[in-house]
Amino acid sequence: MSSPKIPTARSGRVESFSYDDEIVKLFVIATMIWGVIALLLGVTIAFQLADWRVNLGLPWTTFGRLRPLHTNAAIFAFCGNAIFAGVYYSHQRLLRARLFNDVLSRIHFWGWQLIIVSAALTLPFGITTGKEYAELEWPIDIAITLIWVIFAVNFFGTIVRRRERHIYVAIWFYIATIITVAVLHIVNSLEIPVSLFKSYSLYAGVQDALVQWWYGHNAVAFFLTTPFLGLMYYFIPKAANRPVYSYRLSIIHFWSLVFIYIWAGPHHLLYTTLPEWAQTLGMVFSIMLWMPSWGGMINGLMTLRGVWDKVRTEPSLRFMATALTFYGMATFEGPLLSIKSVNAIAHFTDWIPGHVHSGTIGWNYMLIAGIFFYLVPKLWDTELHSKKMAHQQFWLATIGLVLYIISMWVAGVTQSLMWRAMDDAGNLVYPNFIETVVKIVPMYWIRAVGGTMILISFILMMINLYKTAKAGKKLAPVVYESLPLDDSSLEPHASVHRKLEGWPMIFAVLSLIAILVGSGIEIIPSLVADKYVVKVSTVKPYSPLELYGRDIYIKEGCYLCHSQTVRPMAHEVVRYGKASNAAEFVYDHPFQWGSKRTGPDLARIGGKYPNMWHYKHFYDPREVTQGSLMPQYTWLFNSKIDYKTLPKKLSVMKQLGVPYSESEITNAVAMAQAQAKTISDDLAQSGVPVKVAEMDIIALIAYMQRLGVDYGSSQEGEE
Amino acid sequence: MKQEILKNFDVPILPITALILFVVCFALYAWWTFRAENRPAYEAASKLPLEDEKLSRQQKANL
Repeated sequence: MSSPKIPTARSGRVESFSYDDEIVKLFVIATMIWGVIALLLGVTIAFQLADWRVNLGLPWTTFGRLRPLHTNAAIFAFCGNAIFAGVYYSHQRLLRARLFNDVLSRIHFWGWQLIIVSAALTLPFGITTGKEYAELEWPIDIAITLIWVIFAVNFFGTIVRRRERHIYVAIWFYIATIITVAVLHIVNSLEIPVSLFKSYSLYAGVQDALVQWWYGHNAVAFFLTTPFLGLMYYFIPKAANRPVYSYRLSIIHFWSLVFIYIWAGPHHLLYTTLPEWAQTLGMVFSIMLWMPSWGGMINGLMTLRGVWDKVRTEPSLRFMATALTFYGMATFEGPLLSIKSVNAIAHFTDWIPGHVHSGTIGWNYMLIAGIFFYLVPKLWDTELHSKKMAHQQFWLATIGLVLYIISMWVAGVTQSLMWRAMDDAGNLVYPNFIETVVKIVPMYWIRAVGGTMILISFILMMINLYKTAKAGKKLAPVVYESLPLDDSSLEPHASVHRKLEGWPMIFAVLSLIAILVGSGIEIIPSLVADKYVVKVSTVKPYSPLELYGRDIYIKEGCYLCHSQTVRPMAHEVVRYGKASNAAEFVYDHPFQWGSKRTGPDLARIGGKYPNMWHYKHFYDPREVTQGSLMPQYTWLFNSKIDYKTLPKKLSVMKQLGVPYSESEITNAVAMAQAQAKTISDDLAQSGVPVKVAEMDIIALIAYMQRLGVDYGSSQEGEE
Repeated sequence: MKQEILKNFDVPILPITALILFVVCFALYAWWTFRAENRPAYEAASKLPLEDEKLSRQQKANL
């Protein structure tokens, strides 16, 4: 084969052009505003976990409602705006072309901010789908799709108008991001609306769990990893003023990462009722992720060879080097946690939030800080206001993060070992779940202190960058020049990948195929879930009142602290009851297995306690469980059940395959009222006023008392 | 029968075949990427971010 030739002379008339940096500035400003809000929310919920009184007794300030707001703000508002800022800055320069359309850029910017504001106006009011990291309701999902399409048109339109034939490695990662996020968002958001603010997932039970965690895991992969790797490949060489360490390694890095990442979702569902083969597949591909992840980290760090002295003095390089170090640690820990025996200990514990934050704070926040310390002085044509302040920020953030991670490791391992401790007679050493909670509360305080330090570090960065921008000059747009993209830039004898880098659309299609292979193999069995889930005759659909109560459970974000799946482990079966079976979730649109046990599992809670226990527990959890961290839900005692919504809810469920009869749909209100009366009559015997029969609390108690009863009372599935 | 197959996916030849295919593909493209002949092209490509802000002659003259 002949050697590839690099053209040394291109012909054509030199063209002058300028870049749209105003849109980059807008996204930078939005990143800073949403970043501080996301961190403030994070610190608030950290203190809520340390002391329940910080929930303030208001519906819209409780943990269950603020936690989705925190995660959405951190991922989509803070990191999202940073991605768009970095992508729009680097994309134009790497392609030597102004963004495709200034109007589209503005629609993209304002549309994205509107989506974030919509999230802020809905999540605290309990308007949620109940699927982690995909909580936004269907009208906002549609808006996200539209804005993402506008972003894609602007992005690919710029590629079409480019003056540089070869698309650099950073742009490969951007392409993979745009394509994969679109696929993930659309597939996971398929739902049927009940009203403007309520919908039910198209999927149920095991099927919903697999689709959700295929999405959830890859939201981390393709929103918090691939775009940031693209930014790393552009901004680290720029800040260090030297080319990437190994372009060839970046090729291996890109294709391996994109192909492997998409398979790893099932590691969130180990020991659940997901088929064993799917769990093993998720675990194996997660371990394989060590290879590309560390390849990328090494490539980034080695780019700094020869400029290590500057890492000590230049804030941008210091933050970037630290970000890569945390990326390496987080991507080592992730696969480790995916190994089934490790996962058995770590899952449902605080180790997982510790791991997540080593990624989002250590990798995303640190890299954003590094990029912005390079970008803001460039955009505003000035010097950074204070290196000293940047170094203070660095140490505050680093020490705060170390406190966060270590306290969560200790809390996670401690609690897990207490959960599983059994004596020689096979009894639990700590049978009361609350014993395992009280033990780790000091760790929650340390986490809250660490989080506060990270928040302060961010405020320092805001001040530093604001003063930098304020000192900047307002200059006329800079004019650049380049030769047009014509046949003189073609390289007929180039290697295949070099040619591929000149065919971005084919590149995009290949990236799509790479992610669809893993997705297809995982999702297709999910779509035929009804064929492998062996039905259990005793499992029936929820009654209208129970369904209403389930919606309250979702609205209050109970799934964020309570799981609903018993793993087939001795200590779990002894503590909670019979291990879960796929058949018991077939009517759960959406599934509610959860991912964290701040409180105990609820899969077998039905019938365990009398109605009065639940009544007292929701009013003041400390009355029945001393030391509980759960907020009070006093408003459920004053808000009335909206019975008239029930026929529509049942009708949508029927459309989704839940076998409600026409008579059940027609008589839904009467059935619900009758069941509410039964519960309120029972409560009345303990002195509770009869009027409580009309209140939300009754529906929630009805749902609690149903959980696990059908399958729990069945002999089917018994080993 | 169909339920059991889908539940356990107990066909040992499938994961082994997939593993071999994956390793072979990976080895091939790693070998091909790291061939010495490709080095000049990759070196040129790696310099793209460092050459992306060429000012117009007018502005260079003004500096």
